Amino acid sequence: MFTPGSKYFLGLTGLSLVSAVLYTFLVNPSDIGAYALFGLLLSAGLITGISFFTRDGEADTVEQAVEANTEAPVSSFWPLVFALGGAVTLLGVATNEIVFVLGLAVLVGGGAEWAIQNWADRASSDSAFNSFVRHRAVGALDYPGLAAVALGVIAFLFSRIMLTVSKDQAAIIFMIAAAAVLIVGILIGTKPALRGKTSVIVVAGVLVLAVSGIASAISGERHELEVIAEEDPYSLEHRECGEEASEHYDHHANNTVSLRSSVTATVFVKDGKVTAQLVGLKKDVDTITIPRSNDINILFRNLDKEEHRLVANLGEAKVGTTDVMEKVGTCTQLTGENQEQVLTVKIPKPSSPEAPYTLTVPGAEGEIKVVVP
Amino acid sequence: MDTVSPVKSLTRRISTTIAGVAGAFVLAGCAQNAPQDTFAPKGDNAQKIHTLDKIVFPIAGIVGVLVVALACYIFVKFRDKGQEIPAQSHGKPTVEIILTIVPALILTVVGVFTFRTIMDLAETEDTEMIINVTGQQWWWEYDYPVQADQGITQPIITSGQLVFPVGTNVLLRETSRDVIHSFWIPALNGKKDAVPGRVHLLRLQADKPGIYAGQCTEFCGLSHANMRMEAIALSKEDFAKWVAGQQKPYTSPAEGTLAKEGETVYINQCSRCHQVNGIKDANGKAIISAPDENVYSGAAPNLSHLMSRNTFAGAMFDLVTQKCRDDVWNAKSEEFGAKYLAGVTPDCLNEKNLRAWLRNAPAMKPMYADPAKLEKTNGLYRGMPNLGLSEDDIDKLVAYLSTLK
Repeated sequence: MFTPGSKYFLGLTGLSLVSAVLYTFLVNPSDIGAYALFGLLLSAGLITGISFFTRDGEADTVEQAVEANTEAPVSSFWPLVFALGGAVTLLGVATNEIVFVLGLAVLVGGGAEWAIQNWADRASSDSAFNSFVRHRAVGALDYPGLAAVALGVIAFLFSRIMLTVSKDQAAIIFMIAAAAVLIVGILIGTKPALRGKTSVIVVAGVLVLAVSGIASAISGERHELEVIAEEDPYSLEHRECGEEASEHYDHHANNTVSLRSSVTATVFVKDGKVTAQLVGLKKDVDTITIPRSNDINILFRNLDKEEHRLVANLGEAKVGTTDVMEKVGTCTQLTGENQEQVLTVKIPKPSSPEAPYTLTVPGAEGEIKVVVP
Repeated sequence: MDTVSPVKSLTRRISTTIAGVAGAFVLAGCAQNAPQDTFAPKGDNAQKIHTLDKIVFPIAGIVGVLVVALACYIFVKFRDKGQEIPAQSHGKPTVEIILTIVPALILTVVGVFTFRTIMDLAETEDTEMIINVTGQQWWWEYDYPVQADQGITQPIITSGQLVFPVGTNVLLRETSRDVIHSFWIPALNGKKDAVPGRVHLLRLQADKPGIYAGQCTEFCGLSHANMRMEAIALSKEDFAKWVAGQQKPYTSPAEGTLAKEGETVYINQCSRCHQVNGIKDANGKAIISAPDENVYSGAAPNLSHLMSRNTFAGAMFDLVTQKCRDDVWNAKSEEFGAKYLAGVTPDCLNEKNLRAWLRNAPAMKPMYADPAKLEKTNGLYRGMPNLGLSEDDIDKLVAYLSTLK
């Protein structure tokens, strides 16, 4: 009953369980150590289950295996698919990324199916039994896998349509499509007699979607999206570091920063006032010291209802070779309530007491001094 | 006359060699002067690691000895003597269960204590002081943000020697300007990588005043072995004096002195990369260095108070003579602060080292400083190049640098 692999993972699960329980009671139930050990417990438990279920992937040891007979193994077309995948992948390397990704998908899918079939064919020389073994191992994945691919294609085609039509049209199409899916679903579920007709409707709908999606992809995105793509909202010409939110404002700016991001300080705006905290020091500060000539991340967190942005005022510099001076600085995009963005700055010159660098938030009181020693 | 067979002779020679190597390792562990001894903690954080060592090492040692002894016994006892292969068996539930449970229990004990120590060393709630630590090829920069409760009213920047008060929970915020480095003062805590674009935290605390040595422990290029650091723990009173010294404004040497001529040489030759806070040109305009235009890492050591520290070039070379160095390193705790704060006095200045460095820095410390081989860094140096200074200029520079205290 216990295969070698399952014994090992069973032992690991037991060890994880004991460690997690001891750690929770003896050290601290709420710190990252407890989470890590319980994570290990869950992972080991999962692998143990898989190991039990597949009997370490050894088809030869399946107890129900029939005695060998003279039946020849079934032929397989997966090697052909695998080879095709390899060819398309190589073609993708030479042409473009999409072809490469598609080739890679075919390569991995074909290879996996080939390996699974080969594994199942070793169970016995009875093709029916081998088919049963294969189905038992991966049959549960076939339909969800195909469904995921189909949904991916549908979502891609639908997104092309939504990016081509105007915003108003997109809203109407979305409502019609959602209502159609709901109605067809209800019909399929409640009127078995109409199943044949609804199938025709579904096929027709998929065809319409395919044709519309391909046509939309060929015609390109709507004008305003093309303009935004051409006009980089982060370019110097379009830098908007005040309270404004004009046409160049980046509406797609990410407003959630990963916990894994490494920041040197966090600047808050709350009740219209600006405060800051240094990483490692749990108190408010009005001055941040950062090393010279090094990329430094500063996290901006807006706790107010109004949208705000963080602005770094980094002194003045000459314009080209002229004597004309202009302000140097950078800023985040506008960010809403309880949202956050990171501002990365690299300051090559030290600050001076007469003209310190500052961090400000337009529309909010106060400033944080930035000292570069 | 007795004769020794060739096999016995070979065995004896191999045994002697192994015993010699093992003996050398054992004797190496008996060094009296080992400032980077991991097993001699001098602060709370290092003590936590040492306490863990005392639990884990004996367990690991016993297990190691048992496994090696058992393996040796089996190799000898069951070696091939031409006997028949014994009957093979598969599956011994009792043995398998014992061999699973015993290691599991051992690892559980080790794991619980290890996790607890790791979490304790990651604590930041009790921080009393923070220092920014930035690594670059091949030196460490330390900058002290304004912290009024520690008497730091203006930012301080220094390099090579990290100065901090004893009995204070200091939190280092480490990063790097170029490649990955690793900061390790064995007597005060474990090591922590300094990674570009990231800020990693490391606790530091020392029980007594003194110098605690360390060096970069992540291979970082040509002079990795020459990237050292020294942590200087001062009493709180002495630390306040050190802070006051670091915040003193710049004083230009008197007109007509050799040092004044050295200031001119410094402005012409050194200020492109090195900063001396407060120095001004002939027009009274502040001179701001531009290391980002000359050095790959974008930084060069700030020399504002060079003579307040007694090493240079990544704590690799002494600014003081051997006698003065020994005087500070071997000072008693209560005398250490005064001796360190005396800095580099005229009697103690190690002119030989300083002159050799100014004459040809890459000859003293390997650096990528050959102008003909900088295509990979777009013309930027990794380290200090040979400036081709004349002996006359070196005299003037030494006189000027000696005033930077």
